[in-house]
Amino acid sequence: MGSALGSKRSKLRPGRRFDASAADKPIVVFEDVFKSYRADRPVLKALSLTIERGEFLFITGPSGAGKSTLLRLMYRSELPDDGTIRFMGRDVARLKSESIPTLRRNMGVIFQDFKLVPSWSAFENVAIALEVLGLPSRVIRARVGDTLERVGLQGRGATRVSLMSGGEQQRVAIARAIVGEPALLLADEPTGNLDPQLAIDILGLCEDIHDAGTTVVFATHDRSLLDVRPRRVVVLDEGKATDAQDGLDAFDWDDEDDSGIRVAV
Amino acid sequence: MSDGGRAYRFLGTWRAGRSNWKLQALSVFSLAVAFVCLASALLVVTNLAEVRDRWSRAGRATVYLRDDATAEDVQALIRALESTPGVQRARYVPREAARNEVVSEGGDSQLAALPPEAFPSSVELSFADSIDDMELSVMALKLRALPSVDMVETYQKWTERLSSLLHGGVTASLFLALVVFAAVISVVASTMRLLLERRRLEVEVLRLVGATRKFVCRPFIMEGAGQGACGAALAIFVLGVLYNIVRGRFDQQLATLLGVQPAFLPWQIMLLMVTVGAMMGATTAWLSLRKAVKL
Repeated sequence: MGSALGSKRSKLRPGRRFDASAADKPIVVFEDVFKSYRADRPVLKALSLTIERGEFLFITGPSGAGKSTLLRLMYRSELPDDGTIRFMGRDVARLKSESIPTLRRNMGVIFQDFKLVPSWSAFENVAIALEVLGLPSRVIRARVGDTLERVGLQGRGATRVSLMSGGEQQRVAIARAIVGEPALLLADEPTGNLDPQLAIDILGLCEDIHDAGTTVVFATHDRSLLDVRPRRVVVLDEGKATDAQDGLDAFDWDDEDDSGIRVAV
Repeated sequence: MSDGGRAYRFLGTWRAGRSNWKLQALSVFSLAVAFVCLASALLVVTNLAEVRDRWSRAGRATVYLRDDATAEDVQALIRALESTPGVQRARYVPREAARNEVVSEGGDSQLAALPPEAFPSSVELSFADSIDDMELSVMALKLRALPSVDMVETYQKWTERLSSLLHGGVTASLFLALVVFAAVISVVASTMRLLLERRRLEVEVLRLVGATRKFVCRPFIMEGAGQGACGAALAIFVLGVLYNIVRGRFDQQLATLLGVQPAFLPWQIMLLMVTVGAMMGATTAWLSLRKAVKL
């Protein structure tokens, strides 16, 4: 979509420490990352994780395992207590505040609660992601129209999102996340408020986006979604990330327990 | 700025104003109340300055004659005055003429009922522009020493009193300006905090999609500027309406009393008030959001 316009997409400024080989490197690398909100209950403990370009990755684990924290660290809404997080070769934690917007323009984020402005129309909610880039109005109109069509909301741009169903609202949120053609799509429990069929539809939409070349990190505690198609699954367990290469049977958790303590079976 | 940036600058402000118009209106009203006080003081000062200028430019004096002054004394006095440097004209006003002047100017029935003896005869002097206050004072002193002269009115005390009053008015206006500035800062800062709280989700969305701090703050700053400018403009409008009501009823009396036609605020002052309102609103909004908006 919009390949002619794609060249206008903001890129991370290379700066003096530009590494030409970064294009061949993993898109995100966590190295020994620690994060805690309370000293006695660390959420992430020496977590290391590598996400390759073009990958579709499920992050799973029970509520409170640190899935959302992991994603927030990626888009620099949180800072790690220790360790390094690299996005496209740049240390996210060491970015200056004026570089944070540029980082976020290279990522799209979708949430369980959609984070849409209810008084705005679907078009306005999506267009805002391009308005921050300072693109001309006609380009914004064209790209938002294309993107709404891509997520199955053609002709619904003028509708206020408060009048839309949950599934439609999540599609608007996805449209906002992808309209800027980000390199990485972060989905933080995007199906948590949706019924099973809608959840599978949204997962399918994320897979379509992945097929177009975008790296997708999909955080969910809904194990049924992991079985839809075989994908790389990373389980957050006791503050560490473990690849569930042998399937999820090695892990079991009680969804009601948000203490962060995992029980391996 | 690009087309998209401009679009957001106005659309963002419009969206915000659309959803929070009651809060914005309350803020504008509060600012208008503060600005009305300042504009009223400026209106008084402007007219006082006009009156003072009118009186200081009068260039005239009245020599009141004693009742026992003879016609020869008066003629001699007029000749002496007309030959005095700086005096342009000396006009004798007998009692009847003085009464007629006062009655026709004032239109007061009580004054008209007074006998001609109540009005002293006088000599009205007109001076050249070159005569200064010191020369006028010296001349008045010499005239008072003449046996046929009862009193000399140079109107300098009125000018001095008006100048003193004007000085007080300017001081009061400066004080009111400080009060208005404090009001603008307080009202706009409170409104911005409320708006920020109401639009927390919008700000969070902007942060997520990669908006800069400047981009996030811009609609708020425009709203602050708009509130300040609208508050000042509303104050001027309200004061203008009140001024026209008052002037419509007391125009003649005011003109007679002051000696000049009352005037509304000059357009430069009005423009300055609106501009200062807008700038203060914008600055306050920026300062109050600078720390509140985090990326």
